[in-house]
Amino acid sequence: VTLNTTARPGVRLAIRGRILRLPGITAPRSGVLALLSILGPGLIAATAGDDAGGIATYSQVGARYGYDLLWVLVIITVTLALVQEMCARLGAATGRGLLELVRERFGIAWALFAVVVVLIANGGVIITEFLGIGAAAELFGVSRYLAVPAAALVVWYFVIGGSYSSVEKVFLLMALAFLTYPVAVVLARPDLGGVARGTFVPSLRADPNYLSLLVALIGTTVTPYMQLFQQSSVVEKGVARRHYGPERADAYFGAVFSNVIAALIVIAAGATLHVAGITDVQTAEDAARALEPIAGTAAQVVFGIGLLGASMLAAGVLPLATSYSVSEAFGFRKGVNLDFRRAPIFIGIFSVLVFIGAGVALIPDVPTIALLVGIQTLNGVLLPVILVFILLLVNDRHLVVESMRNSRVYNILGWGSVVLVGGAAGALVLDQVLGLFGLGFLS
Amino acid sequence: MVMFSELRSFQVRDEQNHAAALSDLVLDLGAGEYPVATYLLFRRPGQPAGELPWTAVRSIDLDHRRIVVTDLQGTRGDVRANLQQAVLLHRDVMDALIIDLPSRQSMRANDLWIEELEGRLLLRAADISPWAVIRRLGRGLLGHGASNRKLLDWRDVEFLRGDPLAARQGRDYHHRVARLQPPEIARLLDAVPYLHAAELLTLISDDLAADTLEVMQPARQVQVFEELDDDQQLRLLQLMAPDNAADLLNGLGPEAAVVLLNALREPMRSLVVELLSYPTDTAGGIMTNDLLVAVADLDVAGARQAIRPDLIRPDFDYYVYIVDSLETRRLQGVLTLRDLLVADDHAPVRDVMRKTIVSLQPLMPAIRAARAVAEQHLAALPVVTPDGRLLGAVTADSALVQIEPRSLSSDTPRIFT
Repeated sequence: VTLNTTARPGVRLAIRGRILRLPGITAPRSGVLALLSILGPGLIAATAGDDAGGIATYSQVGARYGYDLLWVLVIITVTLALVQEMCARLGAATGRGLLELVRERFGIAWALFAVVVVLIANGGVIITEFLGIGAAAELFGVSRYLAVPAAALVVWYFVIGGSYSSVEKVFLLMALAFLTYPVAVVLARPDLGGVARGTFVPSLRADPNYLSLLVALIGTTVTPYMQLFQQSSVVEKGVARRHYGPERADAYFGAVFSNVIAALIVIAAGATLHVAGITDVQTAEDAARALEPIAGTAAQVVFGIGLLGASMLAAGVLPLATSYSVSEAFGFRKGVNLDFRRAPIFIGIFSVLVFIGAGVALIPDVPTIALLVGIQTLNGVLLPVILVFILLLVNDRHLVVESMRNSRVYNILGWGSVVLVGGAAGALVLDQVLGLFGLGFLS
Repeated sequence: MVMFSELRSFQVRDEQNHAAALSDLVLDLGAGEYPVATYLLFRRPGQPAGELPWTAVRSIDLDHRRIVVTDLQGTRGDVRANLQQAVLLHRDVMDALIIDLPSRQSMRANDLWIEELEGRLLLRAADISPWAVIRRLGRGLLGHGASNRKLLDWRDVEFLRGDPLAARQGRDYHHRVARLQPPEIARLLDAVPYLHAAELLTLISDDLAADTLEVMQPARQVQVFEELDDDQQLRLLQLMAPDNAADLLNGLGPEAAVVLLNALREPMRSLVVELLSYPTDTAGGIMTNDLLVAVADLDVAGARQAIRPDLIRPDFDYYVYIVDSLETRRLQGVLTLRDLLVADDHAPVRDVMRKTIVSLQPLMPAIRAARAVAEQHLAALPVVTPDGRLLGAVTADSALVQIEPRSLSSDTPRIFT
């Protein structure tokens, strides 16, 4: 059989000894087009992690310690790539979402536990996204009381009104705002030797703030909603197990891309704020203002666009992932291709999350920092639980065909990640709890 | 009689007063309308899990919440090797995706209604109300009362394992989904996970499966089709309308298409290959070429006779296309099936056919062809070569798919497919 798959638009096929050119069969995409066509769920899920909370943390890390914590991002990139890929694989191998599988294999109580925490944790993060949108808008002189409701409507309209593929494109277009961070780094002219040292030479300090930020860095980079979204969108995209191979690249690329952006934010903050002696950044808004005297008004605009894009992306992805998770755990119909009549609970949860998130973000003098810390803690607690579920499920003989289960190396790295993330989350929680009695050890 | 979530808290006790905890029940799905428990599985502290055939059960004591058996000690401690293949109530059925046939939806079995009949336990219904979840989570403290149940009679359920291989291996199924119409099954297949969908498609007859495949959403159709085995793929493709088969082959990609095309029988292969020789965004790419054709020289009775053997096959049978001869197939006119039925037996076809025909060129853009069909308010327009040879017809269904907004495509009723 000769198969000429390079000729477009048709292909040449040997049918019963005759070579026929059949334009009715489209040749598969190749090269760059093939790569671009698989990018989607992984890229969106991971880049949504570079949200308002992420930007605040990365800016703080850079401002306080310069490039010293970049090595943590290298390790976390491996963890993120690993975890996201396992979720994508689980989605393709079973055609089911994560919480759906949790319910089937571990029972209703675990599923409900996960749903409740996901609702609370993600609901909280959604609020911070709208806070980020408000802050970004105010950098451009637009009142947040105008920008936040408008952003909520835009996000809601695109998800509810469009089909999934166009939603995906809108998200990806928003993600292009991240490309403004390299510009900020170039403008800031960082010390390259320092960057290389911080990236490749791990350093630990007996400084409670250093440990606290290290934990926050892990907590904000690998968050449970990314896994939920990754798996659900691979299922929704209709990736079958026999076509899973190339999808791996999407998960890996998403993790690397997301963390490169994170590193660039750290470097930008390090090269400007840290060098200028400004070592305490409380919010992304502060970070943007702090950049102003150094890189001029252009840096503030660039930062504002980045913050807006990142927050808008996450403000869409998060309610979507949450709504997916809850619907799938209880067997409600789900999918952005459905309307309210056909999927009332899915659309209802999505809408409530978006508008309550925006509403809370509009409350005057809302305690932003307390909210951010609390939400990161909650996410940190849920993450190891979710990771254990993922690892158990992806190795489940009943669910996953042998060729798609974890290899030994993958399992070692996977369980290593659980220990790493669990340890970090545990330290953070312990500190919070002890902090209530005035005994916090990290800060 | 009792909900399975409560039954699981029952004690298993033997006549020597040894006790164990009930862990699961093995079901026989093929036992009749309602599956029957055939084995009970139990566990004792510090000992391996055990099993007992149902013949060892003496009585079910609801008041004391226990199942009395002959002898717990005498049982072997090793659970049957083929337990992996069996259907277990707790492991496999509870919380599983089930098909609610009356409402044509997939549901989760939030709890299971078990009845005792002559000493045996029957799975009578699934509780699909959210209260069942609350009742289970509340460990019996919350959500009691009959009004909090929404029981789905097991006679109206299709149980799926989520594994197409199980259906292929001929394990027990109810095969009740075959009661539904192809579009109803297609909507179900679009909604359940793709492995469940492939399993479901394997359970029904080839004719029904082929009709169902034709009305599924294209992306889902490909995903599910790929999970079928080679033999079934070929059988279903052979039964589909050529235009649907061509679309499916395009979706599968060149490597799978060449294998299937080589295996297809004639005349199906030629019809599909002909359709595939036009790009998908042209009139030729969206037409069907499985048509009713008669020769202009016949009289009406002769034409009826001529098309009769073909009538069982094509999905599109509204028009009969009249050509000069079956070899050259130059289009002369068109008749509706009604025209042919009501016309005088001896009238020449040439005199009763409609002669002014708007026709389409095979390489014109699909969207223009579709608009032409819509503007003419006709069920279809013929596609002819520049020298007048009949190639096929673009039906109103195919035209609608081109014109409608993409978000509507899953809702479009398709009449001729």
